[in-house]
Amino acid sequence: MKPPRMLAVPFFFGNALGEADNPEYQHKILQATFDLLDRESGPVLEQLPDDMVPDILMQGSETENESEEKGLNAADELTSLRAYYEQWTESHGGRTAVGASTIPQRRFRVVVRFLEGYISREETDMKERPGDTTVPQFIRHCVNDLKAFYYEARMAQRPNGADRDIHDWFWSATAMGALAMSLAQRMRDDEDAEVQAVAFGIAR
Amino acid sequence: MPKLSVLSEIQRKSLLMWPCIEHDDTPWTPMVKPLSESKVALVTTAGLHVRGDKPFIQEHTKGGDTSFRVIPRNAGAADIIQSHTSLGFDHTGIYRDLNVTFPIDRLSELVDQGKIGSLSDNYYSFMGALRDVTGIIEDSGPEVARRLKDEGVDVVLLTPT
Repeated sequence: MKPPRMLAVPFFFGNALGEADNPEYQHKILQATFDLLDRESGPVLEQLPDDMVPDILMQGSETENESEEKGLNAADELTSLRAYYEQWTESHGGRTAVGASTIPQRRFRVVVRFLEGYISREETDMKERPGDTTVPQFIRHCVNDLKAFYYEARMAQRPNGADRDIHDWFWSATAMGALAMSLAQRMRDDEDAEVQAVAFGIAR
Repeated sequence: MPKLSVLSEIQRKSLLMWPCIEHDDTPWTPMVKPLSESKVALVTTAGLHVRGDKPFIQEHTKGGDTSFRVIPRNAGAADIIQSHTSLGFDHTGIYRDLNVTFPIDRLSELVDQGKIGSLSDNYYSFMGALRDVTGIIEDSGPEVARRLKDEGVDVVLLTPT
């Protein structure tokens, strides 16, 4: 593509500066990047000399979800996680990745009912859906907010937990993980191409 | 991005078939002053935007969303969310620390240390994983470039997803 100056880094997508909560390492990446400004001609393409090998992201289909056997349901489960989620936001200056749906997390039980109705092919919608956002797109925003809620709650609950352990927990042990898988299957089975496309971003 | 050899087979095949643009030349601009006297802007393709701003559309049915969002420099991490929520990458890192993709705090620290002259008033964000970038080449890209030039930006740091 021949960009003027580019530092190729070995990190997995979404982690351009290497590692979260590691300012020293992030500065090292930035320094290596800004060093490219001193070159006299381009294009400049350099490889960061680092042997960090990224972990491949776990997907829901790689595991069996046990939540139904344990009698869990998503609405009660998210309520039980709320205190952890709020602990996370309080300890991070109010920062949260939840927000694309614009629905307050205190109303997420309603979102769960909306998604369960959609899976059951009921006529279902939410008044918060913007007029220029289709139902499938809105569903994706809702699911992404629910995932972020769960992940942030889990990070508060298990501060030293590895990222892969959080994925494993979400897809193997939670009713929300099972709901996401059911929702994705419902959308893959739809005849509408837009709905099928959204399914690819819900779970696989 | 990681080397193709460490990716899953489905991701490796997807990337090898990705419709990348091939350019004949490079838009090379030499530095005329040191970084410590330069104004730096941050531009990302991580699908970030200010909370309450319109989310990017993610589906590929029309090649992707080639619009852009303005992120004021004084927006804090709590003000910024990501609507590029592909399952193709792990979001846990950015949940933990926005700087791992969008290093707003790191750049401010470099200004405080005197290594960067100043920062632009506005940063810019595009969607990632676009299959058709015509809209960026012809429309949103030149518009953002014009804004950066109007603000006197000398250096742009582009961070991908």
